[in-house]
Amino acid sequence: MKPGSIRMKNVTLDYRLYHDRAVTLRETMLNFFNRKTRIEHFRALDDVSFNIEPGESVAVIGSNGAGKSTTLKILAGIYKPTSGTSNSVGRIASLLDLGVGFHPDLTGEENLMLNGALLGLNRNEMRKLVPLISEFAQLERFMDTPVKYFSNGMFMRLGFSLATAVDPDILLIDEVLAVGDVGFQNRCYERISEFQGKGRTIIFVSHDLEAVSRLCERAIWLHDGRIKMDGAARDVLSEYLETAGKQNHISTSATPKEWGSREVWFDSVILRKADGAPSCIFRSGEKIVVDALIKSRLPSIVDNIVFGFSIHRMDGETVIGSNNLEMNQPLLSFSGSVESRIEIDLSIAEPGTYLLGVALTDPKANLDYHWQEFFYSLTLLEERKDPPLRLNEAIWTQE
Amino acid sequence: MSKWNIGRLLLLMESLVAKDLKVRYKRSILGFAWFLLKPLFSMVVYYFVFTRILRFGGAIPHFSLFLLTGLLPWNFFSSSLSGSTSSLLDNHRLIRSIYFPRMALPAAEVAANLIHLLLALLVLETLLIVFGHYPGLSIILILPALLLLTMMTTGISMLLSIGNVFYRDVKQFIEVLLLAWFYASPIIYPLDSIGVDIIQSDRLVQILRFNPISGFMEIMHSIFYAGTWPPLWCWVSLASWSIVLLAAGMTVFRKAEPVVVKEL
Repeated sequence: MKPGSIRMKNVTLDYRLYHDRAVTLRETMLNFFNRKTRIEHFRALDDVSFNIEPGESVAVIGSNGAGKSTTLKILAGIYKPTSGTSNSVGRIASLLDLGVGFHPDLTGEENLMLNGALLGLNRNEMRKLVPLISEFAQLERFMDTPVKYFSNGMFMRLGFSLATAVDPDILLIDEVLAVGDVGFQNRCYERISEFQGKGRTIIFVSHDLEAVSRLCERAIWLHDGRIKMDGAARDVLSEYLETAGKQNHISTSATPKEWGSREVWFDSVILRKADGAPSCIFRSGEKIVVDALIKSRLPSIVDNIVFGFSIHRMDGETVIGSNNLEMNQPLLSFSGSVESRIEIDLSIAEPGTYLLGVALTDPKANLDYHWQEFFYSLTLLEERKDPPLRLNEAIWTQE
Repeated sequence: MSKWNIGRLLLLMESLVAKDLKVRYKRSILGFAWFLLKPLFSMVVYYFVFTRILRFGGAIPHFSLFLLTGLLPWNFFSSSLSGSTSSLLDNHRLIRSIYFPRMALPAAEVAANLIHLLLALLVLETLLIVFGHYPGLSIILILPALLLLTMMTTGISMLLSIGNVFYRDVKQFIEVLLLAWFYASPIIYPLDSIGVDIIQSDRLVQILRFNPISGFMEIMHSIFYAGTWPPLWCWVSLASWSIVLLAAGMTVFRKAEPVVVKEL
């Protein structure tokens, strides 16, 4: 095997899940007598096999909890597989978490000097690298400041610069590039491209599907700990997006919830682009059209129905939400069934995957007809640059 | 996997120790002097308690120096154990984001305390000479004794750091245990004939010799305080405990490591 290659063969990894987790001895004793503690095994990875050759850039995609980070942790040597084997050759730089070895009370320079050992560098090698690292992080002026006074972005910049200061054969990146300002992110991507240019192996876990398609030619799609698809990034991404759109939900920490009296209910909800094509990927500037078919089993006309929506981060944190009552727009009034539409125009500050929820309520009568929370996943991307490419010159010659 | 050889491990240990020492004395006026001040303060306290209140210290000449001889290594022992107990938990982010031999964490805690002990012993020896306790040839035995003590402390530290990941009670328990352990160790009293006079029970003195730290403490008293060759039982006890505890610590750590990483 050449440096930079990875072999994962039939890797399975179990976590112990505790129900009624006993954290103190007393609890253990009590549970021992009551036999309350049930240890269950949660299979994070199930028979995962793949080979990666030197110089490949591979994205690992999938919903939360699919086993992406676990895969990286096994590749980094942090977790040992429960069964199966994972081998890699060459020096690994893992960007799973940035600036982890940093101590808040130590200055930037002290932290660099002391954390080089984790990368296998001695003092002399570090002394030569410190100026380069601080220059890349654009923090030369702050190197004698304790890092606890650094902003989050500065801290991450220093961490990224240190982690990539050594030329690794294999670079493992887990979602860390979402930090920092756009300028620094671009420099990060440049550095990654540099590594690609030098023929290094890169494994990239991200929800930022645009970055994935930009950086990687191959993608592995994990679903519930198994490989669902492994192939050219373009094919895997389009398949992934299609499924994610079809599915009512992507399993996340914010699991979809549905409740209400359902006397009035959503029969179907479809997300479309402005031109009517169903989609779950929207760019900044594009309208998100929510088409809902709403039905009622009540005998008479229902009116004053409030139709609301909300958008959440993947962890369930609400980002925005509104409804027709709040926005002073006509309330729904119908009998039998009606098609209703919301056109949402968003400006996107942070691209990523979000969850959309919808609700039908009658606040006056204090009735919740139908809530679908965290139900539809949306991938929101930055604005499309038009034209995306510009031709500077093209020269034809004949010998 | 990145290659981890002994050189790289030593480099990591060195940087962990350097970090520990740097952080410990940031923003502290007396800084490094605390490694001596702490045992000195406790010496003063014990001196007054056991010569003015309980009054058995009078049986031992230069009782304050005798106390200091035992308190310095005890300080090393107890700080290492209580510090390393939480060493894995405190570094959980590091452990979960980069691979390195995690044994280095409790071991570095012990190493940092060992540096303190070595410096403190130099000061102790100076004090002893000033007060007329000249060292004998037996002083060279401090090196093998310290090696064995470090092995034993590292072994226990590994056990505690692993235990604390599963049960947070370990952290609480170790404080109480160290309190009891202190009085069960020959620090404020010796385990020789004077000790028998103070304790007034030959049997109890024999039992106390099974305490893992007793051997080392008596070696300290012999070579620093009395300037004599330590009795054989000290070496037998210290060596066997050291080997057993280090082996136990490393075995348990190795076995538990893959599970612990996921538990953190």
